[in-house]
Amino acid sequence: MTLAVVVALAAITVAIGLADTGAASLWRHAYHVPVLAATVRWGAAGMVAALGAVLLYAPFVLPALERVGATPAVLEGLLTFGSLLGIGALGSALTAGARRQRTRYETLVAVHRAIDGDTPLEVALGRLRACLEARLQGAVAVVVRDGDRLSIAGGAAVASGGAVGRVLATGTPLFVADLGGRDVPRRCFVAPLLARGGATGALALERDGDIGADERQAVRALAAHVGLALENARLAALQRRFADELGEKVAAATRQIVENDRMKSEFVAIASHELRTPLTALQGFSELLATRRFAPSEIVRLGAIMSAETERLGRIVSDFLDLSRLERGLPPPLRRERVDAAVVIADAVEVLRRARTTHELEVDCAPILPPLDADPDALDRIVKNLVSNALKYSPPGSRVRVAARPLQMPPAVEIVVEDEGGGIAEADLERVFEPYYRAHGAVRAAGGVGLGLAVVKSLVDAHGGSIRAENLTPHGTRMTLILPAVP
Amino acid sequence: MRALEQTLVPPADGWLTDTPAAALSVLAVGWLVAVVALPPPSARVIGLAAAHGALLGTALAWTATERSERWAPLQAALLIGTAAACARTFPGGALAYLAVPVWLAWRRGAWLSRPRAGWGRAIIAGAVFGVVLGLHLLVNASLTLGYRLRPPPIAGLIGWIAYDVGANVLATEAFFRLALFRRAYRRWPFLGAVALSAGASVARYLVDPLLPHSAAILAGATFYLALLGAGNCVLLVRTGSLVAPLSAAIVFFGAYRLLTVR
Repeated sequence: MTLAVVVALAAITVAIGLADTGAASLWRHAYHVPVLAATVRWGAAGMVAALGAVLLYAPFVLPALERVGATPAVLEGLLTFGSLLGIGALGSALTAGARRQRTRYETLVAVHRAIDGDTPLEVALGRLRACLEARLQGAVAVVVRDGDRLSIAGGAAVASGGAVGRVLATGTPLFVADLGGRDVPRRCFVAPLLARGGATGALALERDGDIGADERQAVRALAAHVGLALENARLAALQRRFADELGEKVAAATRQIVENDRMKSEFVAIASHELRTPLTALQGFSELLATRRFAPSEIVRLGAIMSAETERLGRIVSDFLDLSRLERGLPPPLRRERVDAAVVIADAVEVLRRARTTHELEVDCAPILPPLDADPDALDRIVKNLVSNALKYSPPGSRVRVAARPLQMPPAVEIVVEDEGGGIAEADLERVFEPYYRAHGAVRAAGGVGLGLAVVKSLVDAHGGSIRAENLTPHGTRMTLILPAVP
Repeated sequence: MRALEQTLVPPADGWLTDTPAAALSVLAVGWLVAVVALPPPSARVIGLAAAHGALLGTALAWTATERSERWAPLQAALLIGTAAACARTFPGGALAYLAVPVWLAWRRGAWLSRPRAGWGRAIIAGAVFGVVLGLHLLVNASLTLGYRLRPPPIAGLIGWIAYDVGANVLATEAFFRLALFRRAYRRWPFLGAVALSAGASVARYLVDPLLPHSAAILAGATFYLALLGAGNCVLLVRTGSLVAPLSAAIVFFGAYRLLTVR
């Protein structure tokens, strides 16, 4: 294109020279074509073509002006000067303006593309900076306030006394004509990113050479646009995160409901079975007593069996009542008094030892234990529940150990029940104290409705104590409960 | 990025910071004394030395980075005055002007350091610009004003070229482009700085006693020197070195010396 313009200007000049009509040659009008083409092609640089045409045409006009004065032909030549320069200036201005406008629209589209999508802020800023550097032809930095910190693209840190630091502090644009230290002036313009009624960051353009007033205005508008676009992207990301979190919560709640439903169904089945067993025994023995005659010793034996089954039925019903209170958020009723833990433990273990002779039951209480401020019946249920569980889930012939020792600061008693069973899966350790929850394999291993440990925990909590379950090496389970002593 | 990481320091230099006022005063007084007390030929030598020395010395002082250049105008004037005296006294004495760029290369090598675009490209770019402008001047002046294209004797032409290289062009480009233009460009937009630099250099030539003072000459000088000044500002910015503007101006003035102007 450059060569074509140069050749065209030269050819027209030669044609004017050959026409031998000097300033009046009609070929002079042809200069407008390459000048117009150059202004359309190059914008402001097209003015050079207009100047070149004037320089080339001048030797035909100025000598005539010097020789014959301002004749009509000379005036036409001078008019052509004005026309060429005018077209050059106007065309250049219009083309440059149109290009600027087009560049701005393209830049806005590029900005939106750069920060579109669900990308982290740092990545979006990096893309935005690369896009703006290519279009603004200078070094670009984008700084955005992200909570208490600054996300920066284009540098490592923001100096508080620097150009960007000042704009972040004041929220007003800043133009620095020369950052100093070099032969060529290093200009910089920093515009605030505007959103939420204030400056949320800054857009800095730095370049060797001019940053004109028009360009500064454009960068300012661009910064305002970028601020809004980033704010929209931030809000969209926030909304997406909220939606994701909500979805996860709903899914978790749904899973929990399904799990609760499953556990309750299982509970109903087990509870029915557990209730039916003593009821069947009671029904059978009572029918036998009603329809047959037995020896007194046999009646005593049957009565003892019926009494035991009734007691078992009563325990199950008590557990249900406790569960009902537990689910309503009510603590179990306690009648607190000074209790000697060693005595309660010894009594409870003795009862169970008589009932189950399959295990070796060992009691190891410290000689002196501080008295507990507890409900003796509740403590009895706690110990019996824990020891019963240990007996249920450990093989016959194994050892079950119950120990108690005093704790200082604050004064308390630690009661430990250990067995030599298969232990509890790690995943179940946290949940064994939940109502209805039964560890995997627990149903097969032993009966029960899965309320025992939940009731124990509610009783321990009501006493202000704590309980935890852990596995022993190489096998076995340890239940450790701590109950506060009388102060 | 400096806007981000560098603390903003307000520019310390004003328009006249580092101006060697004392040396310039001495030169002005010396020139006045010479005009009053000395015969015209001697006064012209002193005037030429004072004017070019003032421009070159001020340019040195304004662009100094390490040491103060308070007396640079006197040193430059002394050197140029000696060269002018040699030119008037001995045949071929004008070649003494060539000592000035040598002295300058010793004093301020950075001015003539390798341009960003490379030596070849910078010199060629300047020379092409100078040739285009010079040729147009020759064609236009001979056609319009009827000046004859008659080169002076070779010895005289070499003398003029030596004067341009060592004093006229060197002092003008050093002060109006390297010092004044850069100082203006730090504060103003490019076009404003170009206008100031080119306008000031045109004014410098319009008051030059060596330029014939007819209306046609003054109009032509204004036109071409304004173009030369503006173009040299562009060359300075594009190449980052004084080499290209010097090349353009030397070629242009070389063309001008081919004209017989009265």
